[in-house]
This record gives sequence, structure tokens and C-alpha cells, in this order.
Amino acid sequence: MNIEIKKDQTFIDELESRIEQAGEFCSWDIFNMSYHSSKATLTSEFKGLTAPKHLPHMEFLPHQLDCAQQVVEEMNGRGILADEVGLGKTIEAGLVLKEYMIRGLVKKALILVPASLVNQWVTELNQKFYIPAASQRKKYAWEQYDIIVTSIDTAKRPQHREIIQEINYDFILIDEAHKLKNSKTKNYEFVRSLKKKYCLLLTATPVQNRLSDIFNLVSILKPGHLGNYEDFTNRFGRDRKRLFNDDYLKQLIQKVMVRNRRGDTGVDWTKRHVETVWVDFSDEEQQAYDQLTTITRNAEKGSSFSAITLTRELCSSREACYLSIQKMINKGLIGAQQEEYESLIQQIGQLPHHAKAQKMVQLIQQKPNQKFIVFTEYRASQLYLQWLLQQHGISSVPFRGGFKRSKKDWMRQLFQNHAQVLIATEAGGEGINLQFCNNMINYDLPWNPMRLEQRIGRIHRFGQQEDVHIYNLAIRNTMEEHVLTLLYEKIQLFEKVVGNLDSILAELNIKDMEKEMNRIFSESETDGEAKIKLDNLSSVISFTQERLIEEELNGTRESS
Amino acid sequence: MELENLHDFLVNYFVTNQCEIIENENGRMKVQLTDKMDEALMNRPFYWQYVKKLGYPGEPMQVTFITNPDRKDEEGEWVHFGSPRLHQIFKTLTTQGKYTKQFERVSTNQKTALVPWLVTNIKISYKGKQKKNEMLSVGLHLINGTMVTGMMDSLHSRSFQSSISDFCYTITPIIRLKSGYQRIVQQIEKWILQQEHTWAKESIERMEEEKVLLKHFYENGQELDEEEKESTKAIMEQELKDIEDRFKPEIALDVVNGGIFYLSQASSMKMIT
Repeated sequence: MNIEIKKDQTFIDELESRIEQAGEFCSWDIFNMSYHSSKATLTSEFKGLTAPKHLPHMEFLPHQLDCAQQVVEEMNGRGILADEVGLGKTIEAGLVLKEYMIRGLVKKALILVPASLVNQWVTELNQKFYIPAASQRKKYAWEQYDIIVTSIDTAKRPQHREIIQEINYDFILIDEAHKLKNSKTKNYEFVRSLKKKYCLLLTATPVQNRLSDIFNLVSILKPGHLGNYEDFTNRFGRDRKRLFNDDYLKQLIQKVMVRNRRGDTGVDWTKRHVETVWVDFSDEEQQAYDQLTTITRNAEKGSSFSAITLTRELCSSREACYLSIQKMINKGLIGAQQEEYESLIQQIGQLPHHAKAQKMVQLIQQKPNQKFIVFTEYRASQLYLQWLLQQHGISSVPFRGGFKRSKKDWMRQLFQNHAQVLIATEAGGEGINLQFCNNMINYDLPWNPMRLEQRIGRIHRFGQQEDVHIYNLAIRNTMEEHVLTLLYEKIQLFEKVVGNLDSILAELNIKDMEKEMNRIFSESETDGEAKIKLDNLSSVISFTQERLIEEELNGTRESS
Repeated sequence: MELENLHDFLVNYFVTNQCEIIENENGRMKVQLTDKMDEALMNRPFYWQYVKKLGYPGEPMQVTFITNPDRKDEEGEWVHFGSPRLHQIFKTLTTQGKYTKQFERVSTNQKTALVPWLVTNIKISYKGKQKKNEMLSVGLHLINGTMVTGMMDSLHSRSFQSSISDFCYTITPIIRLKSGYQRIVQQIEKWILQQEHTWAKESIERMEEEKVLLKHFYENGQELDEEEKESTKAIMEQELKDIEDRFKPEIALDVVNGGIFYLSQASSMKMIT
């Protein structure tokens, strides 16, 4: 066998010149220490992880160690890490990177994560793994630093992309990789064009809609592993279910993907206590609500969509609904119903404090020494709630997806050290870790259960020491009641960790749950009709859920 | 892990580098750094640049290091295997301790000859789909060409100094340094080639498998125009190269440190037998 052997020539040249020119020599002690310290950093075995020995301050969970080992030993450093939310994909990825760095296999690495997570990744890599990662701040950072964390959007900008595409990366990591499922996008093309040795893709939802999603992800790591596109579609078709009931495909996927579920981890997770807190509208509020429903039901076809939004907004705050109606009036979008809306907006303007908001204040007052995170869907409600809390002497900080990175970090810190409450809008839900808080109020329920799981995942994750309390606020005799009882409670969303909800929805070909619900409400003539449709939807979901569990028990489903 | 006693290692390191140990008990020590060590370890280049420019004497820091994990929460810096500080210290040692010239300490009142040896500590890395490495310590008798391994262990029990002892003189090497080094490298190569390299076979197999898959990936029935063909080909070439980077077996010999050692005849005899 022909193995290339690289030899060291510089040493002897330098030694000789030092002897001839009476150069500098070290003492015997230093020489001896140098030898022993080099010996200490050897890795004498091909297999096994050495990284944990370097990180005695960390406690790794068994599934995290197994995952890292599997990626290094069996997948040769290219794999999809697809654990459920909150099981520590970041930790697994950090372990893999650290292992390669210790073994001298990785020097140059590029970590591509959503912009809002850049600082968090930098901090975690530095503090938890002693990996000197830096975020890209200056143009020349790409060459200057070995380990760079940045977002795909930054990296692919013309002034950066050319530099990056020239670099031979030893390691590339992409967080939230499901965003790359479409091979026709610029981001996908960009990632494919990078020079890379090892590569990790992190996602909690490796297959969303189409079977080709997984084909595209795998093709970044190991082109040809699933054949070429033609073979793949010929053999497996487009049906997403194939991923679960085609043994051959399952086997192939397992060679490039690790997926842990909470149940598999053998860890004693802290409990979740979920409580529905019912609220009754005051008479005036109920009148306004009924008024709004009547108006929206008479709305012309085509504008019913926004009418549903108004109703949801009224369940959240006067402010949210008021502002939206005013906007519609100003833009002349109301047409024939102008008068009705104008009288309604007057009515709304005179409403007392929102019943739900007052309930929220009570809940928080009951635990004056504990931190709360409150989620609302609307910015107007966020402002209102913050003001209301302030009136009651409760300190709070806002959190939004649109905040700059540094502001997010700052808000998170303020919350941890000073404020009792963090009020987040939906877009703020992704990516921040708030394990130090164990109370969550879902002030408005999102209409997409996946987003709910993501919210809960912010606090109910590895590192949470306390049981987690989740309060869902819902107003009786409104659409909130229907959504909560007919949908969320029926599919037992809160009791079960909905790790497999993503696959259920995909199986049912429901791409956008929120749209689905909007349709149900807007296309129903009466309240009763909407209820029946919601009920049907949840029955289908429960049914699929049970079938999947059964399949899993019979071992006919994907498992890792 | 080779450093059995990290604490002693650190004490030794600072003492050898002329730092005063102010306190030292139960896995915790306080060190007064010298200017040189402060510059090497404390990451404050601007301070030193400033001080030197103004011609002031610098004020090197006092640092407390903790090696006992039970005391890690006390005031001071916890140093453990894998901590950035130790990594930094190791790094200073690799440059500081690379080249040496030593004379065995002999107390005698008669004329005594010292024999030259070339000592090299060589790290051998085996890199395929995984990587490991090992260390060989080789000594070569520069008069008669005898080669021995485990050299550092044999030298361990002797004392050395950087100048020659009284009444001693050195014998001029017959084998030149460079050709001595060639002999050592050739010997290691010969030894490597005699080994079984299952890891390399496996890596090559895996590499070939991946290459076949990759080529097939690009053989789809789609009609491509010239431009598309070009760009697809470029991507494929890059990916083939990536695969080679990841799997191609490679062995590297790197000299960690080495130098010339003058040993007494008696010691030399002991090394050889």
C-alpha cells in the first residue's frame, strides 16, 4: 500500500545552524517539560472521544456523548444532528468540533447560524468548549480568525462570499438547516459551493413537507448517498411517508442522521405543569366582541381573512384591534362596512382594561419572587402589557425578533438580573435560552402548535432545574375557547412533548397550521360550523398521532 | 494523559522560568511572574509596549492558580488538563523547549571524554478517516551509529548542564548531524512500512466508495447546456478533492524537540546495552 509519509526537514536545519552559529539552546528542564507536555496532548487511539477529558467543567448527557462519537467514528464528520428541541444539539456539535480540534483535524471552521443566535454561539463555544470562536465584525475577519460564527445572509453578501468561497474550511456547521431544504434557493447554492471537509447540519425538523427535503439535505453532506435525483424520485417517489415505512431508505438515512427524542435520553426531565386559566370578558368587552363577529361574518368574501385577525386581536388587547381597524379605515379597505366599523372603533376606544391582561397581572403577583416569560402575538399588546405591569410596580423588558443582536443579549441579561418579566412577541421565541426562568404565560395562543413547542423549549430544556409552569390564558365564549378545547387540549398538546407533531402535520400535508385555522374560521358561516371543522381537524391529528406511535412500537418507523 | 502531577508540573514550570512561588499549598499556588512570563502569558501586549516605550520598569502580575478541583470555586484560576491557560503554557514550551545542547554532569579529576548523541523526539501522526499519534524518542550515537529508542526515559536518571564539567572534553562526531537525522528518519520509515495499516486500507475503501457515489450523483439524465456542464464539473471536482482531504491516508513525522547530548562513555555504554 502506498501511504504518503511527510517528513520534517526544518528541525535539523535549524539545529545545525544553531550549533554552528552558537545560537540559543534551552535548559534540560525546559526541554524535558516540553517533551512531556507534547506527550500529554497525544491522542493514542483512533476511536473514542478525548474532548470530555479536556472539559471537566461540563457534564455531558449520555445521548450527547453517543451522538458525538457516532458522528466522528461512523459518519466521518458529516452528519445531520436532528434531536428534538432542547436536547442539546449545540452541545453535540460543540463536542464534535472540539474533538476534531484536539486531534488536529480542524483548524479553520465556519459556523453559520441565524443572526439572532450568533452571540449565543460565540459565548457557548468559548465558555463551554474553550473554542476561540469570534463573530464576524470586520471584513478581514474571515482570514484573521480561525473559527468564525456568522449568519448565512452575512456570509453570502458579495463582499464576503468571494473571500469565503476561496477558503478551504475544515469544518462547516449550519444551524436551523431545514431552511436549506429547497435546492433551488440562493442559500442552498451558496452552501453547496463552499469548500469543506467536515460538515454538520442541525435541525429539529429534518423532513417537513416533501420527501425531496431530505434528499437535498443529504446531498450537501454526501452527494450520491441517496442516488442522484432521478434514482431517488424513481425509487421512492414523492410521498413523505416513505421515510418511515421504507426500510431501505430508513437505513440509508440513519447513516447520515442522528435523532434523539426526549424519551430516548434516559434523563429525568423536570416536569411540566400546564394550566388553562379561563377568563371572562366584561360585559362591555363581550358586547364589542359580539359586535365584531357580526360585522366580520357579513364581510365580503376576500376580506374575511383580515376579519379573523381582528377578532384574534380583540382577544389580545383593545390596542391591537383598534390600531388594525384604524389602519384599514385609513387605507380604505373597508368599503361597505365603513359605518359599522366606525361605530365599533368608538366602542373599543371606551373599553376598560382588558380582562385577560388583568388576569395576567394577578398570576404574576401570586409569585412575586419568580420570573415569568409572557408571549403575545401582537406588538400593540406587548406595549400595553408592559405599561400595565409598570402600573402595578412590576418590572418587565420587551423582546422582539427585530431587535439587533446586541439588544437581544442586553434584554436577556436585564431579564436575568433585574426584571421579573420578559414580554416576547412570537418572532422573539426562536433561539434564546431562558433556563433560569420556569414560568411561562401564553398570553395569546399561537395557531401553530410547532411554535408553541418552540416557546416552551426556551425554558423547558436541558439545564432547567425546576419544574416548569405553563399558563395558557383563554377567554370563554370566544374563538380562543374553541381553539384551546377543540384543538390543543384534544390532541393533548400540553401533556405530551410534541416532538412528533412536525411529522404528523407533514404526514397530513398541513403545511401551515395557521392558514388552515384561518380558513376554518373564515369559511364557516356559523360558530357551530367552525367548531365542527376544528373538531374534525383535531380528530385527524390524534388519529395520525396514535398510528405513528403504534408504528413506532412495531419498529416500522424511523428511529435512531 | 502523561502529566501525572499537574501541580508539580506548574510549580516546576514557573520556577524554571525564574518566577517566585509566593504561596503553595494543597493544590493552590500564588506566583510572582517575571516581565518575560507576564508578556508570554497575560495577554496584555499594549501594556508592555507602552511601558517599554516610556522606558519605565513594568509591573509584572501576581497570579493564583488552582489545580485541586475541590478548591476550584476559590479565588484564583482553575487550571486543568484542557484549560486555555495550560494550553497556552504548553504552547510556550513547544517553542521555548525545541532545541538544546547538554553535557552530562560528571565529577572527576581525570581527563574524561564525552560522546556526542543526537536526540530527537518525534511525533508520528496517522491520519485517515480518523487520526491518532504517538511519540518516539530516538537517540543516535554520533561516533559508532548505534540507534536506541526510549531515549528520554534513559536520560531521565542523569543530570545535565549547559556547560561542560571540569576535566571533561568532547569527542568530535564522526557522523554529521544531517546524515544522522536521515538515518533516524529512514529507520522510522522502515519500521512504519513493516506495520499493518488496517486503518489506511479502511480509509481508502471508504474514500473510493464516496467517490463512486459522488460521480453517480452527477450522472443524471438532465440535459445541460455548456455553461451548466462547466459549473457542475467544477463543483464535482471540488467535492472529489474534499473527499480526498477527508479520507486519504497520510503519515507525518514531526520533530517535537531535539538536540545534541554529550554523555560519558559509561552512560553511553549503558544506553546501548
